[in-house]
Amino acid sequence: MSTIALPIGKSNWQLKALPPLSLYIHFPWCVRKCPYCDFNSHEARGGVPEDDYIAALVTDLESLLPLIWGRPIHSIFMGGGTPSLFSAQAMDQLLSALRARLKILPEAEITLEANPGTFEYEKFRDYRAAGINRLSVGIQSFDAGHLSAIGRIHNGDEARRAAEIAASHFDNFNLDLMFALPGQTLQQALADISTALSSGPSHLSCYHLTLEPNTYFHRYPPELPDDDAAADMHDAIEARLVEAGFIHYETSAYCRPGKMSYHNRNYWEFGDYLGIGAGAHGKISFPDRIIRQARYKQPAAYLNAVADGSAVQTEETLSLEQLPFEFMLNTMRLADGFPVELFQERTGLPLSALNRGLQQAESLGLIERDHQTIRPSAQGRRYQNRLLELFL
Amino acid sequence: MKHIRNFSIIAHIDHGKSTLADRFIQFCGGLELREMSEQVLDSMDIEKERGITIKAQTAALQYKARDGEIYNLNLIDTPGHVDFSYEVSRSLAACEGALLVVDASQGVEAQTVANCYTAIEQGVEVVAVLNKIDLPAAEPERVIEEIEDIVGIEATDAVRASAKNGIGIEDILEAVVAKVPAPEGNPEGPLKALIIDSWFDNYVGVVMLVRVVDGEIKPKDKLLFMSTKAQHLCEQVGVFTPKSMQRDALKAGEVGFVIAGIKELASAKVGDTITHVKPAATDPLPGFKEVKSQVFAGLYPVESHDYDALRDSLEKLKLNDASLHFEPEVSQALGFGFRCGFLGLLHLEIVQERLEREFDMDLITTAPTVVYQVLMKDGELLEVENPSRLPDLSKIDEIREPIITATILVPQDYVGAVMTLCNQKRGAQRNMQYMGRQVMLTYDLPMAEVVMDFFDKLKSVSRGYASLDYDFKEFRADDLVKLDVLVNSERVDALSLIVHRATSIYRGRELVSKMRELIPRQMFDIAIQAAIGAHIIARETVKAMRKDVLAKCYGGDITRKKKLLEKQKAGKKRMKQVGNVEIPQEAFLAILQVSDK
Repeated sequence: MSTIALPIGKSNWQLKALPPLSLYIHFPWCVRKCPYCDFNSHEARGGVPEDDYIAALVTDLESLLPLIWGRPIHSIFMGGGTPSLFSAQAMDQLLSALRARLKILPEAEITLEANPGTFEYEKFRDYRAAGINRLSVGIQSFDAGHLSAIGRIHNGDEARRAAEIAASHFDNFNLDLMFALPGQTLQQALADISTALSSGPSHLSCYHLTLEPNTYFHRYPPELPDDDAAADMHDAIEARLVEAGFIHYETSAYCRPGKMSYHNRNYWEFGDYLGIGAGAHGKISFPDRIIRQARYKQPAAYLNAVADGSAVQTEETLSLEQLPFEFMLNTMRLADGFPVELFQERTGLPLSALNRGLQQAESLGLIERDHQTIRPSAQGRRYQNRLLELFL
Repeated sequence: MKHIRNFSIIAHIDHGKSTLADRFIQFCGGLELREMSEQVLDSMDIEKERGITIKAQTAALQYKARDGEIYNLNLIDTPGHVDFSYEVSRSLAACEGALLVVDASQGVEAQTVANCYTAIEQGVEVVAVLNKIDLPAAEPERVIEEIEDIVGIEATDAVRASAKNGIGIEDILEAVVAKVPAPEGNPEGPLKALIIDSWFDNYVGVVMLVRVVDGEIKPKDKLLFMSTKAQHLCEQVGVFTPKSMQRDALKAGEVGFVIAGIKELASAKVGDTITHVKPAATDPLPGFKEVKSQVFAGLYPVESHDYDALRDSLEKLKLNDASLHFEPEVSQALGFGFRCGFLGLLHLEIVQERLEREFDMDLITTAPTVVYQVLMKDGELLEVENPSRLPDLSKIDEIREPIITATILVPQDYVGAVMTLCNQKRGAQRNMQYMGRQVMLTYDLPMAEVVMDFFDKLKSVSRGYASLDYDFKEFRADDLVKLDVLVNSERVDALSLIVHRATSIYRGRELVSKMRELIPRQMFDIAIQAAIGAHIIARETVKAMRKDVLAKCYGGDITRKKKLLEKQKAGKKRMKQVGNVEIPQEAFLAILQVSDK
């Protein structure tokens, strides 16, 4: 797909410094696939092969080590799927194996995604003990009717209980919420926010429910609030959270001061990340090139591939032309945008590579910039796709 | 010469002309079976898809008749659409006979009748054929009666055939031999050859399909084209079988091709007469006329830097389409583009489609319009092909619009609906004639109304049964006004229309409401207004979109999100930025979707 691969040794292109490196670990199983979900998740019929999978993750990581010698790990994110289907002992075992092979910074943020079912929240305390220091709970809604409309298997009471237990064991935790759910009113969306706030989270992710291709909802669309109603909800949620002392720092993410998700921010700042586990994606920079990797998606295929020596299904060296857009796709999600020098640091290209798009964006009032930072304007955050198109 | 038969086929679209032609070629062994791609004579892709023959083509067939003699049958294919009536008349002028092919279940249609009348006027012998005779719905008796009533030719012994299933093919060829007269002409006289059609070939230049009337034509002959007085040296002559076969000469009565190193189609005009420089014929063959554009539209590249590419593409199309006219035009809203003249709406659509398909152009087309004659107060008479160029009303004495005479053939059940439609379109009835179960209506109609959506409307009110043929009649003054459209207070010249005052307010209102549906929501409110002069007559607003973001962009897999944005951007390819508003192609043609009161 790339037209000009970065020419190794043939150009003066080079990265002066490598970006911070994070680690993403994918757990591809769920009790049931949600109808809106387009992530790499598979129903765990007959349980998950816990030991085999942990062993495969470790082997998978080992194959990556030569690519990142000496680089410290700034954050770890265990996502899915439903990682909390795995036992705390399994997570403990995994983290021990990682520590033995990687230089994980002492202050590194280590996040686990968890579902709010009884089976899961009883393990929260042990996850904390295993060294996980941030929990992200997939609440989605506290309303039983809306939960069942989007095919979630937990109910409102379980959601509330999960938030309370998360609060009692983690000082740093996130709740995932969705709005513009089938039949949802503005008041109901705000009620979910209030309930979420009452458990004292440090971070909230509020996603507009969108119908993604290759999902059940895409084929059989439910009746959803219209664009204007959804936009009203978005505005009201933002106002409510800002009033509660949260910062709206990314398109769908809010945090208390100082509690940004380090791991996610590293994506948005075009940092590096290893991806291990079925279907995980990684981006790794070198002084002379930047690569993207994707691993086999089907759990069985992944396990076989690891056993055969490499889990990598595709690996691509990014071309110079791709970099400006990819950089903007990420950084323009952040309310604060990026410091101007970050562009050259992460892409190895002069800022002039963005000139045309930036000029258009400025004339359309989609960005604000001074000599230090380039950030999306309020308009630019609202019409982010329009802004990004200018860099395609 | 007595073993030559020159004939063409007159048939309505879908009545089986192309299939029948294929059968003849197959029957006479012109092509091996494996060479028969479906419907050989319609060679352009668009023709195959739409089932319309656009350019006349030909096949010279050797037929051994039942009398044991071998005859040279020259089949000259004719276009089957109202936009191409001049080309039809030239094809017929080259023939002594014509097969009138009528669908035995559907009966006679206006287009067929019009072409038949042309044939009869030119003294061409018309032989009736009933096609699709094997269909359960076939009613040969009724259709024969209809042919006799409407066309006025003897049809009791019409050949019954099914081109699709190969029934009656030989009978038709026998009828051609028996009924179509052999050509007459003076083989010794000075050369007179009629150009039936001409097209551009990348290797040999212009190829002309000709009918030699008198004399003969050979390579190395010095040729004189009588309308342009141009001289060219003949390089090659031959016939199509339908494969091209070189011959030593084309003789009086024969049909074939001539190649004479001509670079431009404009030098080989359909209907012109070719003679020798010496001895030259004194008079040309009758019937030649310069083809004039009837319908005009602006064609603009979506991206302004594609202007040169669009000009190159139009020039290439013109190589093979002498009836396409274009000249540069500048629109405040759309930038640099071309005002193009077409024979009719179908011709416009075909050109547009070919530009997009064969030349990969992204185009904005403005609503089609006709030519208006504007009589200025100082006595000057202007022709206006673009409504936005209409001079200031205070300086205009009168505006005249082209009027056509339309002949509509429709089953009795739908006469009322068709008359209502014609009245809505400001038509004046001239005649109404009952012919069996069909009625022939003759109306004078403003051509501007017909180029919009008349044909589609006619088909819909008659469930597809009505058929239409028309001829230009005259320019006539009427109370016409210019309707402007303003987008966010800016007048968009490419959206201006000339309409009748009586319907202007209604049209303006409907137009802006239709545009509101077609213009997607953007980052700000968009006001769409219709105005006559300084007077705003309608307004609609496209409310601003509230947000346009990707809610989730997760886990480092950005490739899908990138594809999504690329798709969204590609979707805007057919949008033109006017001021800061993006207007999609459909909105420029919104007037075509405005229904009548």
